[in-house]
Amino acid sequence: MMTSPALDVEGLAKTFSGFPAVRNVSFSVPAGSITGFLGPNGAGKTTTLRMALGIIRPDAGQALLFGQPPTVRALDRVGFLPEERGVYRKMTAEQVIALFARLKGMTAGDARNRAREALERFGLGASAGKKVKELSKGMAQKVQIIAAIIHEPDFIILDEPFSGLDPVNQAMLEEVILEQAAAGRTILFSTHVMAQAERICDRIVLMTRGQKVFDGKVDEALAVVPRLVTIGVDSPDDISALLARFGEVSQSGNDPDGAFLWQVALNAGIDPQHVLRACVEAGVRLTRFEPVRPHLHDAFVRLVSAGDPLQPAGGQ
Amino acid sequence: MRAIYLIARREYLSYVATWGFWLSLASVPLFMLVGAAIPALVQSAQPVRHYVIIDETGTGLDGAIQRFIEREGREQTRAALEAAALVSADAQTRERALAAFDADPLGQEGLDEALAILGMSGNAEMFDAPGGRLIRLDAPARTIDGLRPYLTGERRVATPEGSRSVFAAIFISREAGAELPLITYYSTNVTEQALAGAARRALREHVREEALAARGLDPAEIRALSSLEPEMRNLNPATVDDSEVGAADWAPFIVAVILAIMLWTAIFSVANMLLTSLIEEKGGKIIELLLSTVRVRDLLVGKLLGVAAVSFTLFAVWGLIGTIVLMIAGTFLQGIDPEIASFIAEAVQPGLFLAALGYFVVGYLMYGAIFLALGSLCETLHDAQTLMSPLILVLMLPLMILVFAMRSIDSLAVQIVSWVPIWTPFIMIARLPSEPPLWEIAGTTAVMLVTLILVLWGAASVFQQGALGHANADSVKRVFSRRKPVQDQE
Repeated sequence: MMTSPALDVEGLAKTFSGFPAVRNVSFSVPAGSITGFLGPNGAGKTTTLRMALGIIRPDAGQALLFGQPPTVRALDRVGFLPEERGVYRKMTAEQVIALFARLKGMTAGDARNRAREALERFGLGASAGKKVKELSKGMAQKVQIIAAIIHEPDFIILDEPFSGLDPVNQAMLEEVILEQAAAGRTILFSTHVMAQAERICDRIVLMTRGQKVFDGKVDEALAVVPRLVTIGVDSPDDISALLARFGEVSQSGNDPDGAFLWQVALNAGIDPQHVLRACVEAGVRLTRFEPVRPHLHDAFVRLVSAGDPLQPAGGQ
Repeated sequence: MRAIYLIARREYLSYVATWGFWLSLASVPLFMLVGAAIPALVQSAQPVRHYVIIDETGTGLDGAIQRFIEREGREQTRAALEAAALVSADAQTRERALAAFDADPLGQEGLDEALAILGMSGNAEMFDAPGGRLIRLDAPARTIDGLRPYLTGERRVATPEGSRSVFAAIFISREAGAELPLITYYSTNVTEQALAGAARRALREHVREEALAARGLDPAEIRALSSLEPEMRNLNPATVDDSEVGAADWAPFIVAVILAIMLWTAIFSVANMLLTSLIEEKGGKIIELLLSTVRVRDLLVGKLLGVAAVSFTLFAVWGLIGTIVLMIAGTFLQGIDPEIASFIAEAVQPGLFLAALGYFVVGYLMYGAIFLALGSLCETLHDAQTLMSPLILVLMLPLMILVFAMRSIDSLAVQIVSWVPIWTPFIMIARLPSEPPLWEIAGTTAVMLVTLILVLWGAASVFQQGALGHANADSVKRVFSRRKPVQDQE
């Protein structure tokens, strides 16, 4: 049986006062996946998410939640944490969470009980009756996160969820995301924190200047960045000719032990083991051989600076 | 509907579940009570004023003025005593108290005794004439130069009760060849003119009596002639009986104008509450979270209904207090002053109050939606004040029209402005007692309702743009300054 994607956007476009904020963006968020929605500031991520949720109307294209337009009924299955976050400061933590639970269709009794349980689970049981304005910033952020997921939505959209969080709360949120994903929920979150996206996501959608520039699995994104190999040798002999067939070679000085360092940006399809074997066969005395794993950050910078839409093999 | 209810409920509780709300609710009747008591408080706080009279004519005019002032003061005191006796005592006690007062035509003892009979001892100062008690002193000097230090407070006059400053000096002279005396009044207090007025009335009465006496009339005839008063009957041909037009007939008109002003105040205050709450919500960055859960129209309607419920709570409590007070006052005054009782009875017009309620709902929705839309464009109250200034001026106009057109509420100008839909609620409620044609009521109402729908639709669109930051106060300024638009970004 085919499961419809949690979100399917097709040809979305939005212009504000003549400025194209989003241009013909299409992508899907498969059910059960954790998808990172990445892009620099002003890339159009928030506008795309707002259109996906029906908060603003697109100039062109459409967004489908669970295969249907973003009606209130569909939105009841969505939990959303906006980038600009806030809660009613004069209400208690429990009241805020219960209010959003009720807005999502829960009964008053269920909403209250669920709010109490969630606050206990997040370590805020003692603060349930406190007004939000009396809570610390970190505690208030937890309340906001709980309010977004209190109704156990099928699809959770988090817009820059890590911004403004201290490292402890970042780790907590990461745990929450993984926990929700493990429970079978679909997650879409936009972020600037590449390390987290790389750790958590199955897939990424990358936008820049209002356009999608990448949509695929994390490994596919990493594949667009050349892998590096750092080689340390104990003689000043020039080995660039030996290495040149594997990729772009550069000399990068000496390490603290006095070894001469070379760096090879490997061509596509080249395994670092090939380089190692060639060095050994040529009798090069290695003091260091270090394949450097590419990171999503590098892929992000490369894809964004390239600017042109890239599609990995088999991607959309 | 669920979302509208929950938004409205939250909005309602955010006001009603605070101490401030109940304090402000209680403060209005309290302020009205204080406001009603202010004239009495001011009256009781009036000081005893001492004056001197210099009669340069030597014809006893000073005595005439003094007697007139004392008589007038006494008449006013007696009227106040009679009113107090009506409220607080039975007929027999009333008669005894007034008899005690009348038995002492010159002194204070009669008043003290009357008050003792009424059980109001110690409140004599409350029964003084407006402007306070006026006591004549022997003049310490006969010229204005000699009196000036006393009038400016540099020197004081010794009296058996202690030294006193002189409030005013009245000089009466007669210029050569003039038939009538001249009064010259000196006082550093230029606002309190009760004494000057009394002196003028006293001499006017005196010279007229003298003139009539010179023509051979005796004092009794003069008094009889002075009291001649033609009878007048003021009738309304529209009434079936031949009862005269009285204060009670004015009641609906007065109540309608008061209702219009109250309507204006209520709508303006409540719309301001909406504005403040929205700006707080925007500052707290809650709007986007709400819009991901409810639709913008539900949010707008929920907020409008929530604050409307707040105002209905206020009206219900105030209405209940007002009804109880009016019922008690009406019953109480029935036996004392039937005219006031019938005024109160005529003032309670259920139809007028129902119409006011309807106009309030439409006016509130119209202005509330406009305020919400403009509020959504603002980040701070300061921004809001800048945008609201023109709107507040527009809101003020019907109030000014009402004040100026109160006596000619059916004039053509008022009829025309009734058709301006944003003013209709205030103007039409004031016009209703004059029974405007039905087509005019229906027409203005229809125009107003169509405008309401357009305003709600427009406000929702602006609200959606403003709430998410796609439009702001600068967008409005750009519209009016016709400058090239600046690109809004994500």
